[in-house]
Amino acid sequence: MTFSLTLSASDLLLLLPELFLTVWLCVVLAVDFSFKRIVQEQLAYLTILGLMMTLACLAWFDMTGITGTLFAKMFVVDRMAIFFKVMILLATILVILLSIDYVHRFSFFRGEYYFLVAMSALGMMFMASANDLLSLFVTLEFATFGFYVLVSYLRDDMASNEAGLKFFILGVFAAGLLGYGISLVYGETGKLVFSDMTGANPTTGLVIGFLLIFAALGFKIGAVPFHSWIPDTYHGAPTPVTAFLSIAPKVAAFAILLRLFLVALATFKPAWALLIVAASILSMTYGNIVAIAQRNIKRLLAYSGIAQVGNVLIGLAAGTKMGTDSILFYLLTYLFANLGAFAVIMAISNSLGSDEIEDYRGLNRRSPFLAFAMLIFLLSLAGVPPLAGFIGKLYIFVAAIKEGLYTLITVGLVNIVVSMYYYLIVVKKMYINEPLDSSPIKTTGPLRAVIYVGLAGTLVIGIYPQPFLDWAVSATLMFSNLLGPAASIPPPTAPFGG
Amino acid sequence: MAEYTLLIILFAPFVGALALIFVSNRQVSLVRGVAAGSAFVTLVASVYLFYAYDPVKGGYQFIQRIEWSRQLGISLHLGVDGIGTPLVLASGILLFAGIFVSWHIKDRMKEFYIWILILAAATIGVFMSLDLFFLYFFYEMSVIPMYLLLGMWGSHTKKYLEMTDPEGLKLRDSVGFIFNFGANSKEYAAMKLVLFLSAFAVAALMGILLIYKFSGLNTFDILVLREKAHFSGPLATLIWLLIFFGFASIAPIWPLHSWSPVGHAAAPAATSMLHAGVLMKLGHFSIIRVAFEILPETTRELMPIAAVLCIFSIIYGGLVAYYAKDTKYVIGYSSSSHMGYVFLGMAALDYISLSGAVIYMFAHAMATGMLFAMAGWVYDQTHTRDIPSLGGLSNRMPFISAAFVIGCMASIGMPGTVNFIAEVMIIVGSWNKYPFQVVVAVLGIVLTMAYLFKMMRGLFYGSMAEKYSHSHDAVAVVDRMPLLLMIMVSVSFGIFPGHLYSVVRSGVDPLIARITRVVPVAEQPTHIPLASSPIAPVSASHKAIAKVTPR
Repeated sequence: MTFSLTLSASDLLLLLPELFLTVWLCVVLAVDFSFKRIVQEQLAYLTILGLMMTLACLAWFDMTGITGTLFAKMFVVDRMAIFFKVMILLATILVILLSIDYVHRFSFFRGEYYFLVAMSALGMMFMASANDLLSLFVTLEFATFGFYVLVSYLRDDMASNEAGLKFFILGVFAAGLLGYGISLVYGETGKLVFSDMTGANPTTGLVIGFLLIFAALGFKIGAVPFHSWIPDTYHGAPTPVTAFLSIAPKVAAFAILLRLFLVALATFKPAWALLIVAASILSMTYGNIVAIAQRNIKRLLAYSGIAQVGNVLIGLAAGTKMGTDSILFYLLTYLFANLGAFAVIMAISNSLGSDEIEDYRGLNRRSPFLAFAMLIFLLSLAGVPPLAGFIGKLYIFVAAIKEGLYTLITVGLVNIVVSMYYYLIVVKKMYINEPLDSSPIKTTGPLRAVIYVGLAGTLVIGIYPQPFLDWAVSATLMFSNLLGPAASIPPPTAPFGG
Repeated sequence: MAEYTLLIILFAPFVGALALIFVSNRQVSLVRGVAAGSAFVTLVASVYLFYAYDPVKGGYQFIQRIEWSRQLGISLHLGVDGIGTPLVLASGILLFAGIFVSWHIKDRMKEFYIWILILAAATIGVFMSLDLFFLYFFYEMSVIPMYLLLGMWGSHTKKYLEMTDPEGLKLRDSVGFIFNFGANSKEYAAMKLVLFLSAFAVAALMGILLIYKFSGLNTFDILVLREKAHFSGPLATLIWLLIFFGFASIAPIWPLHSWSPVGHAAAPAATSMLHAGVLMKLGHFSIIRVAFEILPETTRELMPIAAVLCIFSIIYGGLVAYYAKDTKYVIGYSSSSHMGYVFLGMAALDYISLSGAVIYMFAHAMATGMLFAMAGWVYDQTHTRDIPSLGGLSNRMPFISAAFVIGCMASIGMPGTVNFIAEVMIIVGSWNKYPFQVVVAVLGIVLTMAYLFKMMRGLFYGSMAEKYSHSHDAVAVVDRMPLLLMIMVSVSFGIFPGHLYSVVRSGVDPLIARITRVVPVAEQPTHIPLASSPIAPVSASHKAIAKVTPR
């Protein structure tokens, strides 16, 4: 294997979004240092501008169909990578909008905050393109690095420090597992690139290696049994960081999971499907049942996030082209609903200084708009038509039933009902209970913008999903070659069982 | 224009709800106007639909097909047959009446109308869906508005007089598990309703997904599945049971009924009307649309289940209604009991009995709508639903008491109301197959008389407590109009059932012909030539019911 690091112009073009964002990050940092009196909001909008331009660049890639690989296939730009990068950038933009009012709570380093957020986004963009074991490790740690700082950004707050410490210790532990797993896999196969590993002998070392890698990625997406850091970290972290943490790393980690399982391990599908099924059932059941007992809305969304990841894993367990489509689509619907819900939480937290569900009493009388938005987001998370979450769930179930995963679907359906209970408890507080204090709640422009984007995304995808489905389907065309007829319809005489 | 009738009926309430978002809550008359206007559009269009539906041609008419998702094989496929048409009309009438019944709501009126319009539009959507996905889509969509309507504008149930602070249970609250808000509160009723219906809805969804997978057609289209999909063996049984019990829970069949009376009692009047009037019929309708259409042979084998359960529905519901002391409980349980008749009519799988069942759904919507509207009026005036403490209200409310008598008569099935025709058809049609059930059904009618007369006497006759002397009759046009509308519909179809009957028969005939086709002739004593002519009144009993000469 020879590495050739001479980059041609067309190679640089593939890196253009990342390169541009890197340069822009330096600009943001430089502006922050050079102009002492710069208003923090302007810095936020400057960062957003850079992210928007990166987004435009990716849109151009997607439209003109620019794809390719770099660095001996370490770095790949395909339509799936572009899809994930667009989601990550979208989440980052919304999170920065969420942060604008929150940043005033930080006593120092306000400018660096935006830099760190965008840097994590850059790391996650690389994750979406990671195509071998080395880039997997490097990009994963690069992306997480920013989060270690961000989670403990409220330095005077004990909860934030605790969250940071928990996240760091468990994160480093996961990194250790990942490194060990990578070394085992490399030792057994002698290959680094995912696509070269297909057809390797399933030796004990290889199996253990992949299990360790899965554990590390499971930590990132927060699937049971690797979820233990999630509730406390979500609770203690600054709320915009929680919002960021709840969607972007999961999205990026799923990009890697898809490449790992559907490319490198495509031939061992029956073996790992069981693993995913188990993780999915545990995540959905545990997340939903524990969420019932929560009193804090951030913790509630943390546990609901664990359950949502369980739902996404159903699509991975299906392991078909349609399964990957459904994962991409589901993550998109989850992005809008989840960030929208966090925007409402931010608005309430900014004005009441509380995240307790009890303080949502009578929100409908205090701010009908916020209550309605929260209703829509929570119902979308629960999967109620005509909202985006319902289509996402249905798509995943359809993909799974084509593969005959009856147990998994049954558990998923039962969990919809369980989750409805705790989402409706929040709805009950907002709509049915009378407020203790009926002063109206004010929202600011940036938060409103996020809520509007979330509402638009949730309602439009729910009512007319076709363009988004098409986009997800075209993003995973690479898998249709790989999985071949597996994605097609099974014959009607298929034996019933499972 | 005519071909868009279904879209107009379906989307007028949605558009109304959307428009209401932009109206201020303070502009009371504008809020009422928008709500009533959109409901009126739906009503007019559904009346047009009912009379423009051609029973001679039969089949699915006014078909609209809009591609929705290629990957999943879903299209917004709308169309009505002879079974859907009267139910759409019933929904249109009850929505319009419900808007006026809730004319005097003061708290968050705008939101009330938004949710009630969405609720009605979703139920209408089920009645016209020819796509399994959209059937489920609208079905599930109708559940959430119920939660908010019950929770925000409802009233506490059972011991509602003592229930001042259902949230006061701190000890249970801290445990945080299982309904932490007192078992008699409206929150409990709302949560129970949603969880119950959702739990069974996902069972039905599982059935739908199994149909989707094992048909191998990659489509949710009912018309395609009906023609091409074949299921047999244990798989067909499983799917049928999932579909049947999934949808029967909303109907509600015994023993899955317990959410329903509680929900009725907690709901505001207009919601109870829509709930009992049309929401419960979603269950029967969906069973007919999905199980009868796609799994005809399994339906023939397994429908006796319904025939057994309907006995319990009729008798149990009737007995509880007799002993209940809360007006809305009485009407709620009477609805549960009456839905047993529909199941009996469906179970017999006979031309007359199934037509009777469909007409009964329509008739029951009118009768129970009236009763709930008037129970709501009495509650608004007296702030109690406790029958023993009420009495003598006919002095104060002559109009309401007269209308209540008519409502009770309709509910019992007195000749002259459309309920009578439906009941006789169910009884005559299922006599050959289920004589025992018919005897039970007739006893049920006696029971219905008993509890309705008991409630009528308790509310309106006897001596009146002094504190109710301030209560008012319905005098204003807006208050009387919805009741008069429902009475008029009930009575006019009772006297002239011709068009209703021929429309229903045009939907029922091909269905029964399909289901019973495989039965040997000897076992098929009904006297109707199979499907050769959609409307062929042949039997003597049939002629006796109504002078139906469709052609």
